[in-house]
Amino acid sequence: MKHLIPEFEHLKKRLPPGHDATLLVPCLRRVQEDRGFIADSDIDGLVEYLGVPRIQIEEVLSFYGMLRRAPIGRWHLQVCHNVSCSMRGAERLLDDLTGRLGIQPGETTPDRRFTLSTVECLGSCGTAPVLMVNEAYHENLSAADLDALLERLD
Amino acid sequence: MPGRKVLMDFEVTPDSHSLAAYRARGGYQALEKALRTMQPREVTQEIVDSGLQGRGGAAFPAGRKWQGIDPDDGQPHYLIANADEGEPGTFKDRWVLEYNPHALLESMLLASYALGVRHAFVYIRGEYDIPWRRLDAAVEEAYGEGLFGEDILGSGFSCDLFVFRGAGAYVCGEASSLLGSIEGSRAYPRNRPPRMTVRGLYQAPTVVNNVETLATIAWILRNGAAAFRAIGTERSPGTRLISVSGHIRNPGVYEVELGYSWAKFLHEDCGGLLCNKPLKAVIPGGISSQVLTGKDAKVLTAEEVECLTLDHEKLRSAGSSLGSGGMIVIAEGTCMVRLLQIMLRFYHHESCGQCTPCREGTGWMHRVIDRIVAGEGRPEDIDTLHHVARYNDGTTICGLGDAAGYAATAMLDNFRDEFEYFIEHGRSKFGGNLECR
Amino acid sequence: MPVMFINDQPVDTGEHRTVLQVALANGFYVPHFCWHPELSIVGNCRVCVVEQEGRGVGIACNMPVAEGLRIQTESEPVRAQRKAMLQFILLNHPVDCGICDKAGECTLQDYHYAYNGAPALSHEPKLHSTKFFPLSERIILDNERCILCSRCVRFTREISKSNVLGMEQRGDGMRVRPVEDRTLDDDPYSDNVIDLCPVGALLSRSFQYQARVWYLEPTASVCPGCARGCTVQLWHRRHEWRLKGLDGSHNERILRVTPLENPRVNGAWICNKGRDLGALFGRPRAGQALLKGRPVLLAEAIDAARRLVRGAGRRVALVSSWGSNEELRAFRNALADRFTSFVKADHRPGEGEVVEDDLLIRADKNPNTHAAQALFGNAPADIPDDTELVLVWGEGADFSTLPRGAKIVHLGAWLQPENGYADVFIPISIQTERHGHYTSFEGVVSAFEPCQRRPEGVIDAETLFPLLAAPPGSDT
Ligand SMILES: Cc1cc2nc3c(=O)[nH]c(=O)nc-3n(C[C@H](O)[C@H](O)[C@H](O)COP(=O)(O)O)c2cc1C
Ligand code: SF4
Ligand code: SF4
Ligand code: SF4
Ligand code: FES
Repeated sequence: MKHLIPEFEHLKKRLPPGHDATLLVPCLRRVQEDRGFIADSDIDGLVEYLGVPRIQIEEVLSFYGMLRRAPIGRWHLQVCHNVSCSMRGAERLLDDLTGRLGIQPGETTPDRRFTLSTVECLGSCGTAPVLMVNEAYHENLSAADLDALLERLD
Repeated sequence: MPGRKVLMDFEVTPDSHSLAAYRARGGYQALEKALRTMQPREVTQEIVDSGLQGRGGAAFPAGRKWQGIDPDDGQPHYLIANADEGEPGTFKDRWVLEYNPHALLESMLLASYALGVRHAFVYIRGEYDIPWRRLDAAVEEAYGEGLFGEDILGSGFSCDLFVFRGAGAYVCGEASSLLGSIEGSRAYPRNRPPRMTVRGLYQAPTVVNNVETLATIAWILRNGAAAFRAIGTERSPGTRLISVSGHIRNPGVYEVELGYSWAKFLHEDCGGLLCNKPLKAVIPGGISSQVLTGKDAKVLTAEEVECLTLDHEKLRSAGSSLGSGGMIVIAEGTCMVRLLQIMLRFYHHESCGQCTPCREGTGWMHRVIDRIVAGEGRPEDIDTLHHVARYNDGTTICGLGDAAGYAATAMLDNFRDEFEYFIEHGRSKFGGNLECR
Repeated sequence: MPVMFINDQPVDTGEHRTVLQVALANGFYVPHFCWHPELSIVGNCRVCVVEQEGRGVGIACNMPVAEGLRIQTESEPVRAQRKAMLQFILLNHPVDCGICDKAGECTLQDYHYAYNGAPALSHEPKLHSTKFFPLSERIILDNERCILCSRCVRFTREISKSNVLGMEQRGDGMRVRPVEDRTLDDDPYSDNVIDLCPVGALLSRSFQYQARVWYLEPTASVCPGCARGCTVQLWHRRHEWRLKGLDGSHNERILRVTPLENPRVNGAWICNKGRDLGALFGRPRAGQALLKGRPVLLAEAIDAARRLVRGAGRRVALVSSWGSNEELRAFRNALADRFTSFVKADHRPGEGEVVEDDLLIRADKNPNTHAAQALFGNAPADIPDDTELVLVWGEGADFSTLPRGAKIVHLGAWLQPENGYADVFIPISIQTERHGHYTSFEGVVSAFEPCQRRPEGVIDAETLFPLLAAPPGSDT
C-alpha cells in the first residue's frame, strides 16, 4: 500500500484540508485494484496514513459490495439479475454460466480463472442483459457473444 | 421526436463529449456571463424562476433547495452531484456523464458560484467505468483550461472538484447516506432534522442534486428561466431524460418534453412493445418511483398509461411518479409475482440495516415471497405482506424502506389475483415468465 | 420558557432539546431503545414514536421541541406503529429469556408486555447468528439477541474512545463485532456496555448464570478504587430470598456492581475496577485480635493499645485514606492530639492498571485522600528514628521501614502476614459493613450503606477511636 501514497497525496489536492478520512473509500478501491484484494497490512497502512481507527475501516469494508479481503479468480463475472435484465434473459445467462463453469454464484473455478457473482442493477437496463467482467460491461449479451467472450478470457 | 431538447440538443459523434465540442455549441458561455455580470444570489434566483424540479426521484424544486443556503454566512458550503444512479431501471445520468459531461461541469461551477462552494464533489457509483472515465477526462480538460481551481477565468472565484467513486451500495444514492460515504464511514442515511442545507457534509451546509438536475443549470443560465419555462407544462417545466427498458422494442435514454403523450412515446418513439404483445403495466420511474413523495401505487396498468401524459402532476394524480425516470415496460404474460420477488430481493440486499423496520421488514417480505414462489405460500401471506409493507412506509430513516413497502403494496393491489393464484396452485399463473417470448 | 403540550397537558420544555427528553422529564414515558442521554442520537430503533398533531407520527428522540408543539404519546396510530416496530424487532430474536441473564431487567421484555403482547405474525424460520462470541475475558456477545441499537458501538466510539466495537455487514446480516486486532480487554470501561445493552446480548462472564436478577437487590455504595469516588450499586440476594441450608456467605456475596448514576461524579459510568469490587471486598478478612501474633480477646487488644497510646515518647499515626469521613473525624476528635499524623496511601496503582485518564480514572487509588488531607495535611510521612509508637490504620504501610524500636498498633481488615508482626493488631470493619461517606478528589461527598454483616470479633474504627483514647481498664 505504501507505494501508492504519492497517488493519494495527489488526490488530496482537490479535497478540503483536514478531511483525510474522505480518502478512505478511494484508497481502498485503489489498493484493491493494485493487489486484487485488501490485505491486513493494507488496513494497517491506512490506519497510519489516514489517522482513522481500524474499526472504522473494517466497518466500511464490509459495507460495500465491491470491496473484498481475499483474492478471487482472474476474471470476475458479475451477472445483473435485477428487474430489467431478468426481463431480457439474465436468468438464462446465469444458468448458462453456471452450467459452463460448473460453479454457483459466489464461487470460483478450481483453476482460479473465473469467479461468478450476481449483482443488482448495474445501470445497463437498456442494453440488457449485462455481464460485468472485471471493470468492463458487456452489454446486450447473447449466447453467441458469451461463447466468444469466454474464449478470450484465459 | 418527443418534444424540445435541453440536454440532448446536439448530435452525438465520437468526440461530441469533448470540451472543444461543448464550447462549439455554446458551452461555458453561461459561466463566463455569470462570473462577469451576476451576483451569486441572482444565479439562484434564476433557478428559482425556472421552476426546475429535482430529477433524482422526489421532484423537489431545485431553487428552493438552494435558497436553504446563505452563500455569505461565512461557513464552508459543499455541492455534491449525485451520480450514484442505482435505482433499478435507471440509466439516464450515465448518458449525461458519457455524452455531455461538460454540461454537468459547467452547471456545477455555476451552482458552486451561486452557493459559495469552494469544494464540490461528484459521487459516482462504483461500478460505472466508462462513464467515470469520460467524466474524469472532462474534469482534467476543464482543469487544464483553468475552469476549475484558483481564480477561475480571472474572476476571483475558486472551486475544486473531486470525483468520488462509490464501492457498491445502492443506498449511497440516498443524499445523506452518500455524505457518510464521502466522510469515510458506513454510508448510513441520516435522520432529518437537521436538513442537509443546515448540516451536511462535514457538518456544513450542503446541497445534493441529481446529475440531470444539475446538468440542466447551464442551459437555464444560457437561455434564461423564461425560455426554460416555455418548455414542458405549467407545473412541470422543462424536459426529462427517460431511460426505457424491459419489454420494449427500442430501449434507451430519451429526452422527453414534460407533458408529452405517454402512449405516443411508448408506441411511436420507443417502437412499441417487443413481440407485439399488449402492455400489462409500466413502472414509471425506477422501481422506487415513490422514494420520497407519495404513498401511492407505483405500477401503472395498461389502461392508465394510454391516457396519460408524462409530467409530474399527471403521474402523481394517477398514483405514481416520474421518479428517477427509469421506465420499465412490462408486456402481457409476465409473472408479476416473480417480478416482485426480484424487487424484494433487491431491497433486502440493499438495506443498510440501520433502522428496524427496513432491516427486518425487507428480509421478512423477501422470505415470504421466496416461499410463495417455491410453491409453499399460505393464504395469510398476502395479509402479512400488506402488514409489513404498511409498516415499512413512513417509519424508516430513509426512502429505501418506504420504497420496499410501496413495491409490495402496489403489486399486491394491482395484481392480487396473480398472487392468490400462485398461493392456491403453488405455481405461477404465467409459468413464472419474466421474458417476452 | 417555551411551553408545549403532551397529551393535552402543558409542559415546560426547560433546557431540553428533544421531545423525548421533555416527555421523560415530565413523567410521560416514551419507550426507546437506541436513545441514551449520554450518547449521540441515531434514531435507528424507531420505537420512540409519538404523534405530532397535524404532522403525523415520528420519532421523539430526534424531534426538536418548539413553542406550542402538541404531542400525543398514546394515540391509536402511535400504539399501532410502536407495536409493529416491536414485532419487527422480535422477528429474528430467539426469545430465549429462560436462559438469559437479562431476563427480568430486559427492556425488550418489558416493552413486549407493555406495548405488544401479541404472538408472532411470522411463520418464517428465524435467522441464526453467533451465540457466545467472546469479546474479552469479561464479556460475551450473543448476536442473536442483539437488536442492533448500536449503543455499545457508540459507547466505545464516543465515551471510552477505545474504538473496539463496530458493525459489520449490512441489512439483516449486520452484526456487532470487535476490531480484529484487539479485544474489549483494552477498554477499561468495557463493562458499561453490559448495562447499556437494552437486551441480553452483552453479558458479564463473572455474573453469567449466577442469579436471576429478581432475587437480587442493590445497595448504594461508593467505589473506593480511586479518588473519583464513583457511586455504585452493590447487588446481592434480597433478604426475603435468602438461601437457607447453604453456606451463609452466599446470601451476602456481592454478585455484581453497576453504576449509580450521578451527574456530579461519574455520570452513568464506572470503570472495570469498580465492577470488581465484589472480589476486592471478598478478600479473606481478619477477624481475630492479636498481640504479637498471639490470638487474644478484642477487649484485651484494645487495652494493650490504650497503654501504648498513653505511654511517654514520640507517637506517629499513619491515617488511612480509606477511612470514611466519620471515621476520620472520630480519629481527630479522640486521638489527634496524641499523635503526629500523616495521611497514608493505602493503595497504589497495581500492575497493568490504568493510572489515570480523561474520563474517570484517577492516579490516587484511594477513596478519601481529600477528606483525610483536609484534616491531617498532605505532608509526606516523616517518622523520626526515636519514635516509640506507630499507629498504622489500614493497608499500604511497609512495616520494614518503620523505626526499629517503635511499637506498632495496627488496625486492619484483611488477613495479611504483617498483622502478626504488629505488637497489637485490632480487626476493623470494611465499608460494606457500615454506613459512611467519602469525599471525592473534587470535594463531592457520597454516602455508602451496609449490605453485609460485620463479622464476630471485628470493630468499627469509628467506635474504636474513643475507646483507644480512654484510660486503660475502662469499659470497651
Ligand atoms: C434509497 C434511495 C436511493 C436513491 N438513489 C438516488 C440516486 O441514485 N440518484 C439520485 O440522484 N438520487 C437518488 N435518491 C434521491 C436522493 O436522496 C436525493 O433526493 C436526490 O439526489 C436529490 O437530487 P434532486 O433534488 O436533484 O433530485 C435516492 C433516494 C433514496 C431514498
Ligand atoms: S430505511 Fe433501510 S436503507 Fe434506509 S436507513 Fe433504514 S435500514 Fe437503512
Ligand atoms: S449488543 Fe446490545 S447494545 Fe450493542 S447493538 Fe446489540 S442490542 Fe445494542
Ligand atoms: S473510576 Fe475510580 S471510583 Fe470510578 S469505578 Fe473506577 S476505580 Fe472506582
Ligand atoms: S429511541 Fe428514538 S429511534 Fe430509538
